[in-house]
Amino acid sequence: MDSAEAYVIVGGSAAGMAAAQAIRERDPAAGITVLSEEADAPYFRPLIPYLVSGRKQAREMTLAGSGPYTGRDIQVWTEARVTAVDCKGQRVTLADGRQLGYGKVLFATGSRPFLPPEIKGTDTEGVFALRTLADARRMARRVEATRRAVMLGGGLLNLKAAFALLERGIRVTLVVFSPEVLSQLMDPEDALLIRRALDRAGLEIRTGAAARTILGDGSGVRAVGLDDGTEIECQMVCIGKGVRPNMEFLAGSGVRIGGGIVADRFTACNQPNTFAAGDVAVTYEPVSGRPIMTALWTNAVEMGRCAGLNMAGVPTAYTGTFGILNATQVADMPFVSMGTVHTGGLDFQIYRHASANAYRKLVFDPEGRRLMGAVLVGDIANAGIYRYLIREKRDISAVKRQIVNHQLHYGHLLPN
Amino acid sequence: MTQPKEIFVITDRCVGCRTCTIACAVAHSASRTLFGAVAETPRPKSRIYVEWAAPAHKVPLVCRHCEDAPCMHACISGAIRRTDDGVVITDTDKCIGCWTCVMVCPYGVIGRDLERHKAYRCDRCQDRDIPACVAACPTGALVYQTVPAYAADVRRHASGEMVKGKGS
Repeated sequence: MDSAEAYVIVGGSAAGMAAAQAIRERDPAAGITVLSEEADAPYFRPLIPYLVSGRKQAREMTLAGSGPYTGRDIQVWTEARVTAVDCKGQRVTLADGRQLGYGKVLFATGSRPFLPPEIKGTDTEGVFALRTLADARRMARRVEATRRAVMLGGGLLNLKAAFALLERGIRVTLVVFSPEVLSQLMDPEDALLIRRALDRAGLEIRTGAAARTILGDGSGVRAVGLDDGTEIECQMVCIGKGVRPNMEFLAGSGVRIGGGIVADRFTACNQPNTFAAGDVAVTYEPVSGRPIMTALWTNAVEMGRCAGLNMAGVPTAYTGTFGILNATQVADMPFVSMGTVHTGGLDFQIYRHASANAYRKLVFDPEGRRLMGAVLVGDIANAGIYRYLIREKRDISAVKRQIVNHQLHYGHLLPN
Repeated sequence: MTQPKEIFVITDRCVGCRTCTIACAVAHSASRTLFGAVAETPRPKSRIYVEWAAPAHKVPLVCRHCEDAPCMHACISGAIRRTDDGVVITDTDKCIGCWTCVMVCPYGVIGRDLERHKAYRCDRCQDRDIPACVAACPTGALVYQTVPAYAADVRRHASGEMVKGKGS
């Protein structure tokens, strides 16, 4: 073994760096080493579309020293990909053969884009799945040679990438298999205002369509072939079809896998001194109690901090997270989607309210005593209070009218 | 480090006059005067809110600068940090207007500046000795104190009430 460290963190993004920071807050002196397979030092991954649009430079996305990430002496090894873990010997092996021993180890290797195998030609030049800063740099370079781009998948990541390209003056067509965009975050009828905002912004959208092949020539992508036989001529393709956890390096380690890395309520894995957090970990929905995996920065930070505290010897139960917990603004339309929002055919009390500029859907349990989920479009004021009520499973009978009318404020929750 | 002061709210004393909201908006305007502020575009915004809850409660709400601030950890762009004085501030240059902070704040006290597409919140008036809202409050509903000093005041008041109760 080359060396050993008290805390080794595999993965240098949200969960890993949040854990490192949490450990540092509890333990000013312990050795902490973060192993990141990327060439770039840790950065705010959600900002990478801004590199494509040109709004931000890579150096403005650096994580260390920004926001809460002020911990000193956190060693980060870049281009350090872990290929094996020896749980008995308490050490990890890197791709270049180096080994590093650990007192405690966190697996926070995140996820990678899923490239559907049924789409042919995804290895053509000019095809992207925007995940890393390196991807964003390549994409930004390809912009120069691109008049039209086709986005496959109507999720939030692809929408953000689409807007970055629109800002660069590229014609953008979004191809979505679902009947509406953002189908993971809301039912189709809830997305009307967002769809209109996307239309106004100049995004072309083809729903109910799937890509079959990506066609290329000497200069890279030239077209996308759809399942209805039509072809869209383009010079760039961006695939946003979800992610898969990076956990292959645990093969043979004895760490229990079940869809993702299985962690208990205190973020610990089944082997001694091993922990997991972030996209790669299986966690629990607080409302339903079902195991879920999410790929959200905010969730990864929360679980990473929790894991860091547990590793530093402060037992901290992870309360789980909502499978859906998104806030953002697409075009000029802000929205929040959280908790249980897909209600088709299910037994919930549902209140909807639509106006020209705002829409809301509030989902209560069948008895109407608990808030289960909320979609707020246009007016997202006080969304955090709704999140609190959903998460804490509060009996909301006394303030239900205020919730339904979107007049709730913190004062309503104070004892009279 | 000396204990930093915080803004405490005594809801019983609030009459809902909203003088604090005007003082806050003026303090965060370009001109720093009431007459200047009302003429500015975009209109200066208050970081303190006075809400009403039935039957007759007035509730001033302002950022608590939480010890384990959910907004700071949730921020996806590193725009929210804590100063050495314990004040949680939003760096407007770094803010991308994704509203994740709004989604996680359990008090609902992070505002959205739609003209600038940025989140904003109480900064405890970093350049003033006493925050503008506290200085302006005519009824003493807003108190700027350290936690130990405020707790001592509450104890003193409570023991006074108990003594009075025995005497009658």
